[in-house]
Amino acid sequence: MALILLPLVFGIIAWFVPGNISRIFGLIASTVTLAWSIIAVSYFEPSEHLLVDFGLRFVRFSIDSLGFTMVLLTNSVFFLVFLSNFNTSIVHEKRFTALALLMQFGLLGLFTTNTILGFYIFWELTLLPIFLILYWFGAFDKPRALLQFFLYTLVGSLAMLLSIIGLMHLTNQQTYDALLAADIQSFGNTSIFLMGGFLLAFAVKIPLFPFHTWQAETYTKAPTAGTMLLSAIMLKMALFGLLKWVLPIFDGNATDFWRWPVITLGLVGIIYGAVIAIRQQNLKTLFAYASLSHLGLIAAALMLQNEHTNLISVVQIVNHSIVSIGLFLAAGIIEERLGTQQLDQLGGIAKVAPRFGFWFAVLTFVSLSVPFTAGFIGEFFLIKALFSAHTFTGILASTTLVLGAVYMLKAYQVPMFGPTKINSFQDLHWSELAVFAILSIAAIYLGLAPQCITDFVAHSLTQPTH
Amino acid sequence: MDSIVILFISGLIGLFAGMQKKPLLSIIIASLGLVSAGVAAYFKGSYISPLSSYEAYVPTQGLIIILLCTVTLLAILGGYKRYAADNEHTGDYLALILFSLCGAVLMAQPNDLMLFFIGLEILSIPIYVLVGIEKGSSRSAEAAVKYFFTGSFASAIILFGIALLYGATGSFQLIEIQSNLAIGIWQSPMAIIGSLFLLAGFIFKIGAVPFHFWGPDVYDGASNAVLMYMATVVKIAGIYALVNVFGQVFRDSYGFWIDLVSLIIVLSMFYGYITAWKQTSFRRLIAYSSIANAGLMIFALADTHNSNLFLFVAAYAFATIALVVINSIVNDDTDSLVNWEGIAWRHPLIGIALVISLFSLAGIPPFAGFFGKFSLLWSAVPHVPYTAILALIASVIGAFVYLRLMMSALKKPTVVVRSPLSFEQILVLTLTSLAAIGALYFI
Repeated sequence: MALILLPLVFGIIAWFVPGNISRIFGLIASTVTLAWSIIAVSYFEPSEHLLVDFGLRFVRFSIDSLGFTMVLLTNSVFFLVFLSNFNTSIVHEKRFTALALLMQFGLLGLFTTNTILGFYIFWELTLLPIFLILYWFGAFDKPRALLQFFLYTLVGSLAMLLSIIGLMHLTNQQTYDALLAADIQSFGNTSIFLMGGFLLAFAVKIPLFPFHTWQAETYTKAPTAGTMLLSAIMLKMALFGLLKWVLPIFDGNATDFWRWPVITLGLVGIIYGAVIAIRQQNLKTLFAYASLSHLGLIAAALMLQNEHTNLISVVQIVNHSIVSIGLFLAAGIIEERLGTQQLDQLGGIAKVAPRFGFWFAVLTFVSLSVPFTAGFIGEFFLIKALFSAHTFTGILASTTLVLGAVYMLKAYQVPMFGPTKINSFQDLHWSELAVFAILSIAAIYLGLAPQCITDFVAHSLTQPTH
Repeated sequence: MDSIVILFISGLIGLFAGMQKKPLLSIIIASLGLVSAGVAAYFKGSYISPLSSYEAYVPTQGLIIILLCTVTLLAILGGYKRYAADNEHTGDYLALILFSLCGAVLMAQPNDLMLFFIGLEILSIPIYVLVGIEKGSSRSAEAAVKYFFTGSFASAIILFGIALLYGATGSFQLIEIQSNLAIGIWQSPMAIIGSLFLLAGFIFKIGAVPFHFWGPDVYDGASNAVLMYMATVVKIAGIYALVNVFGQVFRDSYGFWIDLVSLIIVLSMFYGYITAWKQTSFRRLIAYSSIANAGLMIFALADTHNSNLFLFVAAYAFATIALVVINSIVNDDTDSLVNWEGIAWRHPLIGIALVISLFSLAGIPPFAGFFGKFSLLWSAVPHVPYTAILALIASVIGAFVYLRLMMSALKKPTVVVRSPLSFEQILVLTLTSLAAIGALYFI
């Protein structure tokens, strides 16, 4: 119970903490929640469920091993976000600390809830904090871009709400296990529509190809901490929803109907995102499109509903969080120190700041999925799965490796080793160094021993679904 | 029944106490009256009331009376600053509100159309006076005249509908009308026209499209203090009466009017929210938002057996009152949305109450408005699925209206102006915010 409620309690306290210690408070709060979840997971029997009940009718919690993985991921992400921004101005605002902790509460609730309405409530609960963070600390000249982000999300989630109401009416059930046991297939075409509502919400969040237009501008204009939160953990809500809720529940004709449309959109996203990323001059925009490309692969592979692929996609989800925190941190460092992210104005940073050059390189290689990093395991097996579905999809999906190398090397090489265009660059602060080191170690460890995740998650993903 | 008597007597006492020209005395009397009326409603039936033989005439449920009394209490507390400024008339204001509330309680869940009509008039006439009570202001006078003419027109239509129904079925009693209609009379032209007239009158009173046009002008002309009462209690009483009359009496002709009602819902929501987008004055924005919300409330008609209306109207009323209280802090005489810029920085409580109320109105969880909307849609979806889909699309537009207001209010101003809140304002904002969060525990 404390596992879920701690961030909420800290978030409320954060409003009353004086501004000058709010960054320390944020760091302590996220450390405590992370430590608490690590302790909880060490007492947790992976094959069982941890039930948490607050006496609410529509919102109940049941944490399985997949939920625990996501809880650990969330808490680590928030810890790293607070740590990596320790030296920036944003954490001096208690509003940021409080909102981030509130968002953490929403995410933890989402990953642990057991009822479909609870899923929706927490899904929306994360929207308020991130919206305020973007609005207060972002560099949006006009509210249009921000409103676009909100419009897309809201349309998606209202479609999901309709589907949830429909699902609850038709099956007369609301908990995860009961919905799994319900015979959704017998609803025929209705189940296709219901799944479509969910998919619309997820497609906006992930984002899949035609629904991605909010992404680039939001990522670019958002404060670095906000971008990290968005890409490292908020997008994972949708993948988690797909993996845990929608695909198992709608197993049958609805999934068969939507499989190839979603895979197609994912593949289009992989190639389109990568091609656009190559042409980008703005570092954050480039990483945003790279994210579109990487997540398209996960979404496409999830639709295959292969047990082994599902396990690997969890590894890839974790890997993408690692990569996006690292890359957006690098972009944020460059923006903060130099005031620009345009590639044509950057060059020769590595000469002035060798430590930054080294760690950025490590993260670049992690993102390129070289062997012995988590990305290698993830992308290799996901592409293999797409190959076994159809040779053509496999070929298209594997372009991500080539195109990814092009834009990532460009994003690294131009600012770091290009002709020197900068005068001075303050090298890494200890907190940033720590984050880079943690991320690199995690990526390499997962690359060498991915079974520490797959074996753990297997307990909840390989149960008989029907 | 006891509640009405308590309300009426405390109104009378307040009227005479008002001669002392002590605003505090008047508000205490009015608040005590409201609280004891609520308590009497809560214990309704669990003690032997001296008026128990009259209970059958006012079947309004205790819960609804409590809601009406609570909302009125919040409204008078929120508007107290304004009432107290005019200490000659504080007692009159509060007494008029209490008298009007008697009418609301009388009409909310009628079992007799005649008594319902009397309740409606008792509710309306004090409000005509309240809207026009600022004698110096020409806008206020214009609003009062407009409201009076349109309101009496609506009353006439309702009366005509009642007369036709009486002609068709020979009774004013809802149960008798229903049983007479059930044997097939509802297909007679007289009953159909009567029901349509009744529907038109109700739509008029709660201000849904196509009889919404009085709303913005009247809301704009009334003061914030009166608006708090008018935008909430009148709507609650009206929608409950509509749901009760239609859900009971015309249950058998459901298939006949449900399409019409769906059309009203969709039109009200789209019209209300789209028009609200362009407003520059806060009270007009609230008026259009209330048109759209009236549309949503009518969803309760879709399921005649199980109308989950309570949570939605309560959430709507609390959020509206909180917003109007906040508006009265910057916009007591003027009424412009420009003044809303940076308002949340004036006091932390304003910021919190504002975000919660706007999100609650926009129907975003975990606030009361979402659960209200959810439970309304929950019972409506199986009956009118397409209307529900359209309503959700309209809610997206609505969310943007509220969101834009929120963005302007949360914008950090260059110079932070603090404005202290008075005790009763703090009380109202705290209570409404807590209610919006606490709804989580009541679903």
